[in-house]
Amino acid sequence: MIFSLSSSIFHFPLALAVTSLPAEVGINHYLLLSALLFAIGFFGVLLRRNTLVVYLCLELMLSASTLAAVAFSRFNGTMDGNIFVFFIITVAAAEVAVGLAIIVALFRLRHTVQLEELTALKH
Amino acid sequence: MTFILNFLPELVLLVGALGLFVVALGESQQKFARTVALLVAFATIGAAAASLNQHADLFSGAYRVDQFSQLVKLVLAFGFACILLLSGDLPDIRAEVKPEYFLFLTLSVTGLVMLVSCVEIVSIVVALELSSFPLYLLVPMRRERAGHRSQMESAIKYIMFGVAANGIMFFGLSYLYGLTGTTHLFPLASRLAPVVHTPLAITGLGLAFCGLYYKLAIFPFHFWTPDVYQGASNETASLVASLPKVGAVAVLIRFVSLATPENPAVATMLIYLAVGSMFFGNLIALVQKDFKRMLGFSGIAHAGYALIGFVALDQAGFTAALYYITGYLFMILACFVVISRVSRDGANVAIEELAGLHRRSPLLAATLLVAVFALAGVPPFVGFMGKFSLLTAAYAQGHLALVVIAVVNSAIAVYYYLQVVRQAVFGESNPAAVAEPLILTWPTRGLCVVLIVGIVALGVAPGTVIDTIFHSLAFVHSGPATALLGR
Repeated sequence: MIFSLSSSIFHFPLALAVTSLPAEVGINHYLLLSALLFAIGFFGVLLRRNTLVVYLCLELMLSASTLAAVAFSRFNGTMDGNIFVFFIITVAAAEVAVGLAIIVALFRLRHTVQLEELTALKH
Repeated sequence: MTFILNFLPELVLLVGALGLFVVALGESQQKFARTVALLVAFATIGAAAASLNQHADLFSGAYRVDQFSQLVKLVLAFGFACILLLSGDLPDIRAEVKPEYFLFLTLSVTGLVMLVSCVEIVSIVVALELSSFPLYLLVPMRRERAGHRSQMESAIKYIMFGVAANGIMFFGLSYLYGLTGTTHLFPLASRLAPVVHTPLAITGLGLAFCGLYYKLAIFPFHFWTPDVYQGASNETASLVASLPKVGAVAVLIRFVSLATPENPAVATMLIYLAVGSMFFGNLIALVQKDFKRMLGFSGIAHAGYALIGFVALDQAGFTAALYYITGYLFMILACFVVISRVSRDGANVAIEELAGLHRRSPLLAATLLVAVFALAGVPPFVGFMGKFSLLTAAYAQGHLALVVIAVVNSAIAVYYYLQVVRQAVFGESNPAAVAEPLILTWPTRGLCVVLIVGIVALGVAPGTVIDTIFHSLAFVHSGPATALLGR
């Protein structure tokens, strides 16, 4: 009873939102969104000082290329882009595995994950 | 059967990596693991030599075996064997991970060997990552001790910049795919040609190169270089400094040929990057005290020199770039042989510690002198011939200003290279000088001699090598031989 009630509540505004979107969402919208994601990730990498947040921003950059590839694949009508996306996701997962391992090892050694405290190599 | 012969170097490396994985499961197998790795390296040299004249398109055209790729594979296999010989018993790697070190080393070389054959975006990405991830893990494997606690820091910097460069590269690659609708390089090149002037295509190409600039340590992607050279153990640094650059140049040749010579935007971009790398690397190398860190900055400058070949955007330029980077492999490995033998217990080597080297070990001093003079571009060594052919190729395309800047940079570089020579030959009065002689093992002596002979021979008689590279490059631009690529 509760379940059906809640689902009916959520159905209504969702349907409204879908109809109120612009008539067609073209490739440019997707490209704009992916460029925005990429820019957020890129400037995050440049400006943030916490290794974990930098890592999140790196993942954001990878998601941006994923989104662009999927959108291009949809509008090109070829599947190559979707295949490419699968490989990007796999690569991202492997990168997280290796990167987080190094971050954990760094934290055990130095008790910090802040980039500005890693200055042993400056000359 | 032909498939096996076509794919032989990769198969040998993959089987070797699998074998090393099994070996690494056992306890304290480092001697055995080293033997296996050495066997794999020499078998790979044999396999690459055996498959030198093969031609094939494998895996639905995603993987291309031609004279160019096989030539680079032979160079990579040779470099792999040299690195294994110079690393010895890995004095500065934690004892419990030594077998894994050989496993990751082999996997990284496998990735590079596959990379030079890839002609499809997805396979390039996979091979590039296969070569990168083991390298990220080799850096923090260095032992910890007083005064040496920077390996994790350099590993963090290495992987952060690596992932960022890869992210930028993927973004560019998805643009290239979006413009052409294919991920195979040959159809991609032909479909990109009509639209190569559009901003989207130039952005895509520019971003797609970034992952390779990172491997090559080109100017805006160079930040990791000196820190990783300094923080990683001598053996790891010798790997990071040499083989990935050869692989990156090979793939860059395949990529840059996507851009037609009539398109000035790509050439202009390459000029700015080359000039930036040369000045940045050479000027900061002037004040370095740590030999490895100095080699890091000089490596940035040398990547800039290699990029001059790409500016020409023609076959002569690509030939010069590949010839130069092959010579650089010999020179930098010779420097690292000296570093890893002079270093006490695997520690970093300051330039002052080279003082009086010619008394301690004449052979090492000779190796160092040949390598450093070659890096400085003194004839008759390979560094001079390499720079000469690069500058000739760029000049033939009318890039006079770039040629002048490159010559000025070579002159700046001579100062810090001669500083090394001064310490090694005339530095006896230095208080840091050690008198005790260095005893070299026979494999090290052999390696020194091979590298000296290589540096001199490539410089004195470059004709055959340059001709071979030039002819093999014809295959890069020709489309697939078989009708595999219907799309």
